[in-house]
Amino acid sequence: MAELSFPLPDLGEGLIEATVLEWLVAPGDQVERNQPLVEVETTKSAVELPSPQAGKVVRIHGGPGDRINVGEPLIVFEVPDNTAGIVGTVPTEEAPKRRVRLSAVLDED
Amino acid sequence: MSNSILESGTPGTEAAATVMSMQQALNRALDEVLAENPKTVIFGEDCGRLGGVFRITDGLQAKHGTQRVFDTPLAESGILGMSVGLAMAGFHPIPEVQFDGFAYPAVNQIVCQIARMNYRSRGTLPMPITLRVPSFGGIRAPEHHGESLEALFAHVPGLKVVSPSNPHEAYHLLKYAATRPDPVIFMEPKSRYWQKGEVDTDSADAGGGAPTGAKVMREGRHLTLVAWGAMVARCLQVAELAAEDGIEIEVLDLRWLKPIDAASLAASVRKTRRAVVVHEAPLTSGLGAEVAQLITQACFSTLKAPVERVTGFDVPYPSGDLEDEYIPNIDRILFGIQRVLEYKRG
Repeated sequence: MAELSFPLPDLGEGLIEATVLEWLVAPGDQVERNQPLVEVETTKSAVELPSPQAGKVVRIHGGPGDRINVGEPLIVFEVPDNTAGIVGTVPTEEAPKRRVRLSAVLDED
Repeated sequence: MSNSILESGTPGTEAAATVMSMQQALNRALDEVLAENPKTVIFGEDCGRLGGVFRITDGLQAKHGTQRVFDTPLAESGILGMSVGLAMAGFHPIPEVQFDGFAYPAVNQIVCQIARMNYRSRGTLPMPITLRVPSFGGIRAPEHHGESLEALFAHVPGLKVVSPSNPHEAYHLLKYAATRPDPVIFMEPKSRYWQKGEVDTDSADAGGGAPTGAKVMREGRHLTLVAWGAMVARCLQVAELAAEDGIEIEVLDLRWLKPIDAASLAASVRKTRRAVVVHEAPLTSGLGAEVAQLITQACFSTLKAPVERVTGFDVPYPSGDLEDEYIPNIDRILFGIQRVLEYKRG
């Protein structure tokens, strides 16, 4: 297993930081992609941040009231070592299957 | 039996073999190249901080610094154009194009600059560039993520083209390519990235020579299967199944797709007298035609049948759901073998 850190993303409109209001997940939780992770407040609005991916939560950074700068670590996931990356899937190793049989008269001339 | 070289070490000596995935083997090779040659620089989309979408450059930026391993904008033409300038300034760039189908925007730089600069400059501006391209299909990805460009690049004078088939080959071929004074297109079979195998870091081939030509991965006497990249593993499976029917198949991993090791092709087929070449790329003007001609040229009088090709189809590479219908599967390869076995001279 590998750890993958997700930093506080740029929330737009030139905002450089956000304040944690409430964590919706805790270390040890298994989360799905797009599941709400945390509610944060900027000077413009309060928003829920969706999870960028599925995985198990290892650590969360900052408690309610703490300010986090854009680009600083927000949450760390545990992910399998053999994730395929941004596209595609890891091929499964299957036992070879066949329907075709070979037949030949092999003269050794 | 897929790594016959690993079993043929000097008796009584312990081979320095460790089991790793192709990802890990490539990562280790790049790490060592960075350490051994201070002129080496690695870059591409997501190659730096993220460590590559397939994690091939994982940890290299942290270890070797942002001056030597770094991210580029999403612009393949710029990645390869920058490689030209770096090579002219004495660097040894190892750029990455994230997926095969993203190489097309960079073809102008590759064909018109990288492949020709040494010739154009009368040898004063060599291009020691190793372009890594995660290649071929097999991971059920969308368009532009499963293409086989070996024939396109092999056709361009001035380029060398190579593709590893397993972790051991990946380690040695990448380390070798990175020390060449010429540009090398390094086609990594992305469907094999996660496959583990023994890597003997001491020696590429039995005898300790450089990994320059083709390699026999399994010996046989009735027919030669010629393949490269991900198709080598499939051909080894086919050889195992054919043995159940009493057909002994030799599997030749071509490794270098430009230049092609014609002597090894000839040596194998002179023995087996039959040949089938397998590739994922479309049939027409695929590299299989070149292989078939080289075999025919060398073995015309001894061939029992025309060289057969089992390939992808002459269609755009299909999206993931249809991939299994496109890539040569075990039965299609067995059919090709059967056509050769039952061929009768008219």
